[in-house]
Amino acid sequence: MFKKAWLLFINTFFISMSANSGYAMLGVIKNRFVNKYRWFSKEEMEDYIALAQSCPGPIGCSSAMIIGYRSCGIIGALSAALGVIIPPFIMMVLVTFFYTFISTNQYVRIFISGMQAGVCAMLLDVVLGLFSGIRKMNKPFYFAIVALSFLYVRLTDFSIFYLALFCIGTAIIKTLMIKRKVDEI
Amino acid sequence: MIPVWKIFLSFLKIGGFAFGGAYAVIPLIEEQMVTNNGWMTFAEFSDLVAIDELTPGPIIINSSTFIGMKLAGVPGAVAATLGCVIPGGIVALMLISLYSRYKEIPVISEIIKILKCMSAALIFSVLLKMLMSAVFPEGLESINILSLALMITSFYILKRFKTNPLYVMLGCGCINMLIYLITK
Repeated sequence: MFKKAWLLFINTFFISMSANSGYAMLGVIKNRFVNKYRWFSKEEMEDYIALAQSCPGPIGCSSAMIIGYRSCGIIGALSAALGVIIPPFIMMVLVTFFYTFISTNQYVRIFISGMQAGVCAMLLDVVLGLFSGIRKMNKPFYFAIVALSFLYVRLTDFSIFYLALFCIGTAIIKTLMIKRKVDEI
Repeated sequence: MIPVWKIFLSFLKIGGFAFGGAYAVIPLIEEQMVTNNGWMTFAEFSDLVAIDELTPGPIIINSSTFIGMKLAGVPGAVAATLGCVIPGGIVALMLISLYSRYKEIPVISEIIKILKCMSAALIFSVLLKMLMSAVFPEGLESINILSLALMITSFYILKRFKTNPLYVMLGCGCINMLIYLITK
């Protein structure tokens, strides 16, 4: 069992070190554990990825934990999670030293302020992608949630967490109502 | 020095509500760090988003380690990173044990859908703020045309050629620097 946990740690460590984002990690994880080690079938892996996408926070970490848990319980989950977290952690600690050292430099400031424009363009791309996903669901209900959330953050000073709680509540009520309708028929 | 447990709690909240992809965490960080606690300025926050793009690793972990490190050194970085990972980890373990029994859970998928809609709106709102501060850095009277041009070009390149955003952003930085050196 410890050998499996060690394998999990080593693999997630190197995957996390080389992958640029959580989604990039998913592909490599799938390839390693399905094709190379044959711990899971392809269908199982797809279910795990869907579950990982339902978790808040970094998707790379939650998918690694799910795989770890399925292969050797809590120990597996923890060792896989550590493997994912350690490389970016060390990296960012170094970057912070670097940043506090150079951020007062005029040229660095100009470079970063140029990058700001690129960041806006990229975020715009992300937002449009999300909106087109919502449009494909083709239900006015989801548009209403988008509009409501937008007005909430722009016009009020209340915390996002109340909005999130409200959304979760709405989701529960909606599922219950659909279930009742199905039961009546 | 900001107490480490406060950093941990803030990041627990950030990690617990970041649904809808890597960028969902950005509005939450803005709220916790800039609006609620005043631990960062909006300018520092914008820098952070740029740095996230430059560095490998999941954005959520990158930004929490970075902020924790800036606020309270290595203990802060550990607290922030653990804080942002723990809620997701607990949910992941809960879901996987439920999954082994039930396979399908309709309420969960509905919650995720609605929270994704919410985070699309939140990211859009932060985007508007960043856009305003990049294009109108000194209020509405003066417009930074260079920024606007860079942005439109970047967006076109991202859409048209599906380039890695990292290169687009480095390009933007270089062009900005070049123009500064020429016009100085």
